[in-house]
Amino acid sequence: MSEENWIEVGSTDSIEEEDLIRFDHQDKTFCVYKLTDGFYATDGICTHEAVHLEDGLVMDDEIECPMHQGIFNIKSGEALSPPACEDLKTYPVKVDNDKIFIKID
Amino acid sequence: MKNNIIILGGGQAGIYAAREIRQNDTKSNIKILGEENLLPYERPPLSKDFLLDKKKEEDLYFHSSDVLKNENIEFENISINKVDFENKKLFAKNDNVYSYDSLLISTGSENKKLTLDNNLKNDIYYLRNLEEAKKIKEIVSNKNKITIIGGGFIGLEIASSLSQLQKKVIVIEIGNQLMGRIIPKQIADLVQNTHIEYGNEIILNKQIEKITKKNGDYEILLNDNSLIETDFIIAGIGSTPTVKLFENTNLKLDNGIVTNQFCETSIKDVYAAGDVSNFYHPFYERNMRLESYQHAQNHGICAGKNIAGVKTEYTSIPWMWSDQFNLNLQLTGICDEYDEIIERGNDINNGVIYFFLKNNKIRGACGVGIIGKVGRDIRITSKLTEKDTIVDKQILSDQNIKLNKLIQK
Repeated sequence: MSEENWIEVGSTDSIEEEDLIRFDHQDKTFCVYKLTDGFYATDGICTHEAVHLEDGLVMDDEIECPMHQGIFNIKSGEALSPPACEDLKTYPVKVDNDKIFIKID
Repeated sequence: MKNNIIILGGGQAGIYAAREIRQNDTKSNIKILGEENLLPYERPPLSKDFLLDKKKEEDLYFHSSDVLKNENIEFENISINKVDFENKKLFAKNDNVYSYDSLLISTGSENKKLTLDNNLKNDIYYLRNLEEAKKIKEIVSNKNKITIIGGGFIGLEIASSLSQLQKKVIVIEIGNQLMGRIIPKQIADLVQNTHIEYGNEIILNKQIEKITKKNGDYEILLNDNSLIETDFIIAGIGSTPTVKLFENTNLKLDNGIVTNQFCETSIKDVYAAGDVSNFYHPFYERNMRLESYQHAQNHGICAGKNIAGVKTEYTSIPWMWSDQFNLNLQLTGICDEYDEIIERGNDINNGVIYFFLKNNKIRGACGVGIIGKVGRDIRITSKLTEKDTIVDKQILSDQNIKLNKLIQK
């Protein structure tokens, strides 16, 4: 993969701990999370119904969809609780000079 | 030990129970007996995305037949017409007999029907299952002015969908507000405004006196002598637990099958879960019967654990949602036991929530907003309710302070 696949999301202080921000790039939406042990990124739309996860609840390592309470593991993308049954795509994240980058394939 | 476990009812509670039993018990035979010739499927989309053609039949199934096969769960399409609890047998209409060691009853609920004095039974449509949804979808494509009798969740969701299909929709509700059985009036009024903005007509406080068929269309006479002309009628006037099969047995019934917090009925080795069960909720210290997606799922799972010998209390804080137009309405807990109401927000675009407190602790909350705007706060409220602690009312009422603050360690 080439270096240019790393896309800058914003500064590390733009996200509170145990919270997330939405990041739109081209025609796609992502969620970038700050957990106690670092930053993570997933697709921004729930796999159950087309709703933005940006309004969801982050608890420990999980994001819960605000519409129907499907739960995903933020680090692995695994769908943990129905009605969600399809996993959420995750993306590599790096921090460089207090800036967050995600790698989009 | 290998047992025969039968699950009577092929809906959401049944399938979740079956899979939970299998997780804890690899040996027993598990058989689901379903009255519909369909694997268990999700009902919420029937009134929404299915009518709008955003979801197809194949999108509705909880699991494919492969999943059931892999987990060795049998599904049989059969109608049972007699139960012998003493000898632990079920009798089907086709003379098949099914013996069980443990039985889960998850027969769900059925629509109440309008009582009409003329022969219009087949002219009024109801929506509960896929077949009915298909029929409605097909027929409304040729109809323009549709009347919905009953301003509850199902009626309003259909009203929202049909409006989006460019139909003229009239909703007639007998009560003085929409969704009056469980939704606070403040929230119901906001939802009503949205329906009106999108062009739906909402008529409250009116009873149907008579429906007359005229040249293939209908005239509905209301109790104030007003007349509504319409070309299609759908009724959504509530439901009753499906318990007819048990009426002359010694199974304890009272607004459904009475169960304790372990999904156990009054008869040993017989359990009930989902819409059909009037269960004891240890947190609220009372019995209740719920008709919701989350409850069918979690109660089914709880029954599954208990049937498999993993003694588990059912303590889920109730939660339900309704999607109408671009709104998502959510309710958690119980909103009819309170001594104080706290309002959070006043703009539907950012979400509006009413918290219902008793002795400074949250008992329930109901909110509505543009899709995505109330879910997080309602979820946090469920957790706060469960914690049963005194809450900071200042934070509850101030939309500028995130509710996360109240649950963070």
